[in-house]
Amino acid sequence: MSKHLDVWKVSKIYETPSGPVEAVSEASFSIREGEFVSILGPSGCGKSTLMMMMAGLEDVSEGVIIERDKEVTGPRPDVGLIFQEATLLPWVSVIDNVLFPVRILKRPRRDYEARAHELLEMVGLKDFHQHRPAQLSGGMRQRVAICRALILDPPLLMMDEPFSALDAITRDEMNVALLDIWQRHPKTGVLITHSIREAVLLSDRVLVMTRRPSTVVCDISIPFERPRDPRIVESAEFNRLCNQLRGYIESGYAADQNNRYRSAAAAVATTE
Amino acid sequence: MKRVTAPMQQVQPMNVREAESQEAESKPRLAPVAPQARPPAEPGPIAVRKRRSRPALAGYRQLAERIFLPIMVVGLFLLVWEVLVKHFQVPLSLLPPPSYIYTRLTEVWPVLLDQAVPTTLETIASFVAASILGIVLATLLTYSRLLNSAFYPIIVFFQLIPKIALAPLFVVWVGIGAQSRIEFATFMAFFPIVVSTMTGLRATPTDMLRLCKGLTANSWQVFTLVRLPYAVPHIFSGMKIAVTLAMIGVIVAEFISAPKGLGYLIVFASSQADTALILAAILLLCMIGLTLYGVVVLLERLVTRRYG
Ligand SMILES: Nc1ncnc2c1ncn2[C@@H]1O[C@H](COP(=O)(O)OP(=O)(O)O)[C@@H](O)[C@H]1O
Ligand SMILES: [Mg+2]
Repeated sequence: MSKHLDVWKVSKIYETPSGPVEAVSEASFSIREGEFVSILGPSGCGKSTLMMMMAGLEDVSEGVIIERDKEVTGPRPDVGLIFQEATLLPWVSVIDNVLFPVRILKRPRRDYEARAHELLEMVGLKDFHQHRPAQLSGGMRQRVAICRALILDPPLLMMDEPFSALDAITRDEMNVALLDIWQRHPKTGVLITHSIREAVLLSDRVLVMTRRPSTVVCDISIPFERPRDPRIVESAEFNRLCNQLRGYIESGYAADQNNRYRSAAAAVATTE
Repeated sequence: MKRVTAPMQQVQPMNVREAESQEAESKPRLAPVAPQARPPAEPGPIAVRKRRSRPALAGYRQLAERIFLPIMVVGLFLLVWEVLVKHFQVPLSLLPPPSYIYTRLTEVWPVLLDQAVPTTLETIASFVAASILGIVLATLLTYSRLLNSAFYPIIVFFQLIPKIALAPLFVVWVGIGAQSRIEFATFMAFFPIVVSTMTGLRATPTDMLRLCKGLTANSWQVFTLVRLPYAVPHIFSGMKIAVTLAMIGVIVAEFISAPKGLGYLIVFASSQADTALILAAILLLCMIGLTLYGVVVLLERLVTRRYG
């Protein structure tokens, strides 16, 4: 399959008042058309920054990102975005929130209304289209955000810890919902998450990022075929993959610790 | 207001705006995930669930406490005032009893109303001018880094100094007409609107702005569809302060220079040692002030019903 996104030696340096911060350092990987890739890593390791650069919301400091043979130079509406908070407009009904991208792009609303209702039905919110976000639970609001991200039928969906704000039970349900959505609307997906199990359940590939240097250190294929049954989480293979990933992440942490000791030692050496 | 927080919402960090609007729900109703396995539609959205009403008796007691108690305190205060003033035979020019103020009020009611017209109109004009100027300036300062650096410190400076002291300068520079009073009152009222609107325009969650940027929304769309609506509650909190300040500004300006108005009447009455008239004018000012405040609150209700 052809490449959808090609991330090549991408670095990001934020200029802050207290000096430059290297949020991502020479990350390289590629994502094929229709592939679902999760990015795992400790907080502050640059996952959001990486996603923002892929979405064209932040410029790369070094390196290049290619989407379908074209360099990514800025945002484009055909990338669906989902964040940790649902970020719905509180004064607007559920259906109007789902149709928000249509409004921004000044496309005719009636061309998308049917699709909006279908999407809401798919996530089980059929009867809630006239509700305000405040009348919904956190999980329901995040479902609305998913519908909003899908309304323009983007070929690429990016999710930054979309379920981190939800309780564990709702989160499991959302994972199954997402699996189901992917069965119906196959597309390329990038999921940033802290949860190893979530990553393994949903992805075709899992990338692990470490802090210092903030980069992708390993790339694991998840062999479960699609359509996936959520019950694979009970299989031995699933747990083996989770343990393997956990090992990688812990060794990443260990490397981080070593670096810290080493630089501390170096600091001591130079002051002496 | 009492808010019910659902157990589930406690888990997630929320911004204030969301937290405020959590009341409607207690148990998140989660639709089953696989659509084919969905049970028949559940009745009634959670939002229409009513809070269980208290037993009627307790409700009445609360009503009595919150409304009648303050009224009784005021009544008692007036009674003590009346009795003490009469008992110690305090001169009318020093402190008239409430009954005398009432008599005076009914006597001069038409005059008072006549004098109240310019005061009220000038207050409204200043408040409207301050609101428009304040919102526009706040928008400029929010969108332009350069303007912000140049003017924000000055605004903070004026916010902190006692602006009333500048009232005589307005007379010197602008004159003694209605325009001078309106300009001074506008000057008094607009700082809180600028500051609160600026806070409000920054209240949009970053991810919401990212979403807009991702959709390639233009700045006008982001402003009108997202940032300004998010600022509405803040703007109104500024406006509620401003409406009071506008009235103070008009009265102070009337103290200094006015041929008419309740501020003028107060100064005039004090030169005549007509304390009852002063107090009657103050009473009317309170009523006007409360009404104007009430109008702003009503407006806020209307707008937040749309943008709340
Ligand atoms: N806009 C910014 N300006 C300066 N530093 C930033 C900015 N955004 C993120 N950072 C820093 O970059 C690093 C990576 O942040 P982020 O990408 O949010 O990590 P993650 O999403 O993995 O938690 C952090 O150290 C963070 O403080
Ligand atoms: Mg992040």
